[in-house]
Amino acid sequence: MRFTRFERARIIGARALQISMGAPVLMDVGDDSIIDPIEIAIREYDMKVIPMTVKRED
Amino acid sequence: MATKNALEVFKSRGLDEKTSEKLIENGYTYTKVARANEKTLREIEKLIGEKKLKQILSVVRSKDRGPKKKKEKPLKAITLTKMELPVKVEKPTKFEDKLTKMLEGMNKKLPWSVMHEIAIRLDGANISDKMLKKILETTHERCQVHAVDPSESVGILAAQSIGEPGTQMTMRTFHYAGVAEMNVTLGLPRLIEIVDARRVPSTPIMEIHLEVSSEDDLEKVRAIASNIELTNLIDIADIETDINTMEVLVKLDKRKMERKNITPEEVLRKLNKAKGLKGLAEMRESMIVIKCDEPSYKKLQKISEDAKSSQIKGIDGINRAVIRKLGGRYVVYTEGSNLEKVLMIDHVDRSKTTTNSILEIYEVLGVEAARNSIINEASKTLEEQGLTVDIRHIMLVADLMTNDGDVKAIGRHGISGRKSSVLARAAFEITSTHLLRAAIIGEVDPLEGVVENIIVGQPVTVGTGAVNLVWAPPKKDGE
Repeated sequence: MRFTRFERARIIGARALQISMGAPVLMDVGDDSIIDPIEIAIREYDMKVIPMTVKRED
Repeated sequence: MATKNALEVFKSRGLDEKTSEKLIENGYTYTKVARANEKTLREIEKLIGEKKLKQILSVVRSKDRGPKKKKEKPLKAITLTKMELPVKVEKPTKFEDKLTKMLEGMNKKLPWSVMHEIAIRLDGANISDKMLKKILETTHERCQVHAVDPSESVGILAAQSIGEPGTQMTMRTFHYAGVAEMNVTLGLPRLIEIVDARRVPSTPIMEIHLEVSSEDDLEKVRAIASNIELTNLIDIADIETDINTMEVLVKLDKRKMERKNITPEEVLRKLNKAKGLKGLAEMRESMIVIKCDEPSYKKLQKISEDAKSSQIKGIDGINRAVIRKLGGRYVVYTEGSNLEKVLMIDHVDRSKTTTNSILEIYEVLGVEAARNSIINEASKTLEEQGLTVDIRHIMLVADLMTNDGDVKAIGRHGISGRKSSVLARAAFEITSTHLLRAAIIGEVDPLEGVVENIIVGQPVTVGTGAVNLVWAPPKKDGE
């Protein structure tokens, strides 16, 4: 499924919140060089590992 | 005489004369007897005796069942003629069908108008199917890029996209451009007029195209133009009032009449039919004389006024008609507008003739036509000012205005005033009135719109706020 830019923003936002509150990161962050939750969420989104999707009406 | 008539009624119902007279002398007419209650019946009985009363009653009651029944004619079987419904959309051509099938094969969709455009441009060209497929693919791709994302707040985009150029217009407001010696409202005032859905535009103008057979025949065009232009008596004659003879003298101006193609006989005929002058006018030498039928100066004055304003020729509301050459063809432009009447004139091209009065188009041609007219007029006024606004913004406005079957204004009296949510209405204008009214009648607001949710402090249902997230467990390998 292709996401619209709103859906992308929402998913990344929700995931970033989870990460910021201590959720386990679902990808390899390497040597802890990235610490910004939003940055991590974006990377996760690009790797398609975020366990979230969108419910569309129709 | 009333009594005599009443007598006749009784007699015609088969009562003898003596009793009838008796009844009437005591003030009983047929209807009274027919509608008499117990008490009055007893009184009548005293008067004429039981036997006669029974006779009357039998007559009355039997007739009472209503007027003579008409013999019912057997209903004629209605013969229905089958009529073809007008087709608004052309049937897809073979080529278009082919394109549709191809797209279906690719599992993609294109708007109908885009398909149509492609078909028109490519039809007849020698293109291989492979090439065609590629064209469709590219078109689809480009179309997707231009498409608006779902839950995009298009309304705000449209408002800003029209509003921002609008601010530039205010500086050049109230400009009148001369189109063939005619005044046309342009710029911001015109835009406001369109959006407000005014009943009559400040400068109503029609553009009358003629059928191919007569569009380059100047004589014919002139004749049509002069038939359209409203001509009052004062325009073609001098009108004087003679107090001595109590007459109104109409001195016809031959030159003006010739130019407008009117004969004196025609004028006389029209005058004799005109309001307030019926049958008063007559020909005397080269003049038309309207005689006053009452010896009253007031009446004479009124006749003079009526004569001046009496319509000799033309269509109501159309004050002037100007002929212009447009790309080798003659087009009639009019000051004033009356679409309904103009469309009924012979030799007028009904598919091209337009007016700038949107409400008139709505009344004559319907909402869809009105919608198109709003789009055309709005983009025309913006374009004339050198402003480019994407047509989709204007289309959205036009769609909103015509959404429920008639043309509504944007604003308090139109769309914004008719929103179902109280809070949305209160947020726009006259806040306290709306809130007070809602409180009195106990309105419920389901908080479905955007404005309501902003007021309440909730995420709105556009953009990111409209996205519903769900948990999607990670897929295991091999799934």
